[in-house]
Amino acid sequence: MNEELVRLEDLQVHFPIRGSFADAILRRRHGAVRAVDGIDLAIRRGEVLGLVGESGSGKTTTGRVIVKLTRPTGGRLLLDGQDVTAVWGGPALRDYRRRVQLIFQDPYETLNPKQTIHDFVAEPLEVQRIVPLASARERRVLEALEAAGLRPASDFAFRYPHELSGGQRQRVVIAGALVLGPELVVADEPVSMLDVSIRTEILKLMLDLRTEHGLTYLFITHDLSVAWVIADRIAVMYLGRILEIGLAEDVIRRPGNPYTQALVSVMPSPEPPEIGHRAKRQILVGETPSAAAIPTGCRFHPRCPWAARAGILERCRTAEPPLFDMGNGHAAACWLAEGGRPLPVLEATPAVVPQTAGVTGGAGPTPLPAANR
Amino acid sequence: MGGPDVPIEPPIALRTVRGRRQWPLPKQADPNATLLVVENLRTYFTLSSGTVKAVDGVSFELHDGEALGIAGESGCGKTTTALSLLRLLPANAKVVGGSVKLFGIELATKSENALRRYRWREISVIFQGAMNALNPVLRVGDQVAEPIVERLGLPRAEANRRARELLELVGIARDRAADYPHQLSGGMRQRAMIAMALACDPAIVIGDEPTTALDVMVQAQILELLERLREQLGLSLILITHDLSVIAETCDRVMVMYAGRVAEEGPVRTVFSGPRHPYTQMLLAAIPNLDSDKRLLATIPGSPPDLRTPPPGCRFHPRCPMAMDVCREIIPEEVRYADGVRVACHLYPPSGDGTRRPIPILEVTGVDAPGVTAAPGVTGAPARGGGAAAAPAGELAP
Repeated sequence: MNEELVRLEDLQVHFPIRGSFADAILRRRHGAVRAVDGIDLAIRRGEVLGLVGESGSGKTTTGRVIVKLTRPTGGRLLLDGQDVTAVWGGPALRDYRRRVQLIFQDPYETLNPKQTIHDFVAEPLEVQRIVPLASARERRVLEALEAAGLRPASDFAFRYPHELSGGQRQRVVIAGALVLGPELVVADEPVSMLDVSIRTEILKLMLDLRTEHGLTYLFITHDLSVAWVIADRIAVMYLGRILEIGLAEDVIRRPGNPYTQALVSVMPSPEPPEIGHRAKRQILVGETPSAAAIPTGCRFHPRCPWAARAGILERCRTAEPPLFDMGNGHAAACWLAEGGRPLPVLEATPAVVPQTAGVTGGAGPTPLPAANR
Repeated sequence: MGGPDVPIEPPIALRTVRGRRQWPLPKQADPNATLLVVENLRTYFTLSSGTVKAVDGVSFELHDGEALGIAGESGCGKTTTALSLLRLLPANAKVVGGSVKLFGIELATKSENALRRYRWREISVIFQGAMNALNPVLRVGDQVAEPIVERLGLPRAEANRRARELLELVGIARDRAADYPHQLSGGMRQRAMIAMALACDPAIVIGDEPTTALDVMVQAQILELLERLREQLGLSLILITHDLSVIAETCDRVMVMYAGRVAEEGPVRTVFSGPRHPYTQMLLAAIPNLDSDKRLLATIPGSPPDLRTPPPGCRFHPRCPMAMDVCREIIPEEVRYADGVRVACHLYPPSGDGTRRPIPILEVTGVDAPGVTAAPGVTGAPARGGGAAAAPAGELAP
């Protein structure tokens, strides 16, 4: 048995940008959206690996490659040490699917409203044809529902999705992922649509299932604080690259990459701020650039707070930093982290100074004539 | 999608001095009245299967320049409460009782027609899905100018000029006024929504989950913008969100609603540092917190009740770990304490001194939770698991 359940090596997913028909005839090139742009990642058996990033970071595409819904355009995918990159059909794919399952984000859209809970959960068994006996299939379905906390399972099995609450629906989706007895579950934002109370329930269920069934999770989320609660390790993605990876505590408490540092600083906290606390935040300007036009050098350099402050290193503009080892399995892709140096403490962003009337000399927008009111 | 990076600070201020209105108040306004006083508001939905008491006796005040956060799970009546102020409700909903006073003017009894003068002009709304709330076939600038033409009756050219100023105020370059919504990124669309809400220089802006669908960094940008606008314009804000952390960071006061009623209301710092109502305590213990040493969350059992048939007595009693006999029979009355916190719970009787009663947190989850074993080969994470198991019950409650 391999300690690394899944391994990605220099994985790339580039989606070609389709041009017009004329372009196609003339073979004009249009470039590509580099959704995943060369990542190395190992998912260890039994861990919860949190894959965190904003929209456009490539986290979902990475997850889709691992569950074999998207073909990588480069690199390798290994399961248990075996190269499965080229597995795209036949018994090998069926076997792969039995071992790697997926939980989608929205339990309202995942379930077919015309299908009973039982049929939804039983479908993978029918596709896989691993339990030929109907009665045995039945038992497997009920077991999966029970394991997902829908008890008594026989009560739920023949209901339709509209009869269930949001939390129960997500439990059904989880039961559907469990029924084949997978080793790895890729969960793509499994709790972001759910209310706080239901969210905790589902996170608890996922952790209990890990203990009981020895599951491994790739937990994809945009919410660093949810990853903090559930993940053993956290990987931070930005524009198709992993910028930082390590034990959750190292990544959150001692970030080695300015992007992680900024993300941690802007997470709202339920503790009301002290006076001046808000100055701690580093709010980045702008939004993630398009993956069709990735900046040169370090892809984060145009938004890097260090660039605005200390002036940018020439290297940041020209060369992409590799993941530098920072000890304890913690690594950060930033030239500042070279040689395992911790990221210097960045003093507070100067809080956005509101331009008051005094500053602008009262040159506010033209007042409307009062008569118009 | 990024578009040009627009500096966070725009070069102009809309209102010149904090809290001073550029426009005259409505004629009947009492200049000394509290900005907004809501008393015993009740809004019911009529369904074929029964009447849903979505808002059932809600009272609160909003002062000039203040930000009030309304929190609670889905279906607790947060949005219905806010939209009831101007009766911006679906056809099957009706405000059946209570009073809404803006500048001392009673709005609850006004006719639809008379109410129109207040819609958008005095109270405007930033809706949640900027993607759906903007009209895809109209230019952004025109959409911002529309309420200025419609409500304030300004000529089109002047309204357009003002719309561009408003866009600049929220951090969108003037020349993007000619763009269509699909040409803007998600964050910019939300900014445009804010510009629209500010178009008529309203007394109150209601933000209905204004940051919920946004990325973390964009959410931070929008919250920063709202904060700046509050400072610059003296904006009075009602912020509806299920995310208590957002309220902690941006609001002065928080009102926690449960099943159509107010559970607890008070200054943010007081309520968050010493929540009294068991529901508030559980909600706060269920939010993930990066600042916390323990990577744990409390589990809130159950879900909000069906409001067609709310439970008798305190509506929270079926989920409350502290429920007593009296809770099943008598609706607790709201008691206000000296520190400005109002709470409706039998643990805090009107005769009591309001000393906080921490609830036992029965179940926790998270990688540090007792019983959770980390992966072999993953070191470090479970180190404090034992410590958490030994922690006394209730320690989680902030």
